[in-house]
Order: sequence, then structure tokens, then C-alpha cells
Amino acid sequence: MSSPPVSDEALIARVVVSDDRHAFGELVRRHQSAVRATLRKLVAGNTALADDLAQETFLLAYRKLKQFRQEARFSTWLYRIAYNVFLADARRIKEVSMPEDMDPDEFSQGDVRTGTSTSRQAALSIDLERAMSVLSDAERAAIVQCYHNDLSHEEAAIVLGCLVGTLKTHILRAKQKLKARLSAWAPG
Amino acid sequence: MLNSETDGDDWLEQALRGEGHEHRSVYIADDGFTAAVVARLPRPVTVPAWRRAAVVLLWLCAGVAALLIVPGAFDQAFRATLGMIVGQHWGLADVAGLLMLFAAMTWGAVVYAMRTD
Repeated sequence: MSSPPVSDEALIARVVVSDDRHAFGELVRRHQSAVRATLRKLVAGNTALADDLAQETFLLAYRKLKQFRQEARFSTWLYRIAYNVFLADARRIKEVSMPEDMDPDEFSQGDVRTGTSTSRQAALSIDLERAMSVLSDAERAAIVQCYHNDLSHEEAAIVLGCLVGTLKTHILRAKQKLKARLSAWAPG
Repeated sequence: MLNSETDGDDWLEQALRGEGHEHRSVYIADDGFTAAVVARLPRPVTVPAWRRAAVVLLWLCAGVAALLIVPGAFDQAFRATLGMIVGQHWGLADVAGLLMLFAAMTWGAVVYAMRTD
């Protein structure tokens, strides 16, 4: 019979108290997928850049782990660091480039609206992904935290370091832009 | 969790929720990512073996220096403390209490020193 998994809190305590690198490795293993996936969304699909930023995120988390007060979930705290790392990198390179095969103006909407439900869903998903690239960093981050990471408005505001009202404004503007870009998908 | 912000964009809300659900259900394989992060962690700070002896020696030097510089102050403090203790009327119960206190402190110190975390 296998023993119950050690909680994040217990692993964090081991890292802080005795610099247990195995414990930190376990924390990385648990959260790497979510952090890397979030960063991939934020950098509009640039996998290599996202993974570099994810590594920076975890290294920064290791250095700052003593400052983690456990007022929020560990994953929320990691998302916040990841977002700050992303912002710092975005400021450094001024703009986040899109993968070469992605053109935000090329949408597939018209031709697949009449297809099967699955192909329609897949096409909408692709168009949504492309439309996300026209959003500002803050708007995209708000959508990623609230819809992709399923955080509440309050948690997402903590991650993005802004007020809940500001976050709601970002979401509203993002949806308006997405709606305009994906207007052909609108029913009626 | 999230409410539709404006009327008539349910399809967008549904699409975003569907995209979010798909995002969360995808697991990115580790493929050496964790090992790469752990390899880049800063080296642990190792304290040299002679550090403890050096610290003890420094404290000893500081103590001797203090004794040499202000011998009168220590002598006065020692005599005052001794006089305070000797001046008291000590009963058997007091001595027993003092011994028990001393034993408890010693035992506590030993248990603390032998703890294994």
C-alpha cells in the first residue's frame, strides 16, 4: 500500500528549514505542467521561450520560498512569479513574437461553421488561440488566469498584482476584442 | 465562477470555458524539465569545519580581553552575586528545588541538543 502524498506545505517546510532539494524537485515536478502551460499561453505559443521562463520562475521561487506566507495557494503564488517573469522578459524584448505560422488576421471561421460539431469546436479553438494574440499582455493574462487556470477574480487579481475592478476591466475589454475578431462565430 | 460580462456573448463565454477546460486537462510531460531546474539551483552554502572552533576561540579571546580590560567590574559583580546568595537563609526545600531546577535545565538542554528534527 502506497503512503499518502506529502502536501505542498510539508515540502515547502523541508526546503525552507533544511534546504531539501529533493523536496523542491518534487514541487517542481507537481507544478511544472501548469506553469509551463500558462506561460505558453502568455507568450502565444512560443514553447522554447515559455520553458525558459518556466525555469526562471522556479529558480526565483526557490530563492523567494522563505517569503511565501501561505496566504494563497502555492500554485497561485507560482503563477504570480511566472507572470512577473513573463512581464520582465516582455519589457526586455519589447514585444513577444508570434510563431511564424500564426497570422492573427487569418481565421478559418467561415469554412468550418457548417462542419461537424467536433471540427467546428476545433476550428473555434484554433481561431480563439489566434485571436488571443491581438490582446494586450494584461488582457491576455487576465483571460489565462481566469479561464485557463480557473482562478477566481480575487485570486487572479493577486496573481496579476492589480485590483479586482481592474481585472474585470481587462476581461471585459479582452472579450470585446475577441468578440470583434471572432464575429463570424456569433450565432444569428 | 465567471459570469458573462455582457449579454449575447454566451458563445464566447462557452468557447473560453471550453478552451480553459482543454488547457487544464492537458498535461505537459516533464521530459527532464525538473532535473534541469534542480541542476540550476544555487550551490548550498557549506560551512567549513574549522568555523565552529574559530568562533569558540574568538569568544574566548573576547572574554579574556574583557577580563583584562575591566577586571574590577567582573570581580565586583561576582562578589555581589555571591553575597546575595550566601546572605539568604537556605532551607532543605530550597536546596532541593534548586537542584531539581538545575536537573531539569540540564535534561532539557541534552534533549534539545540530541533532537533529530
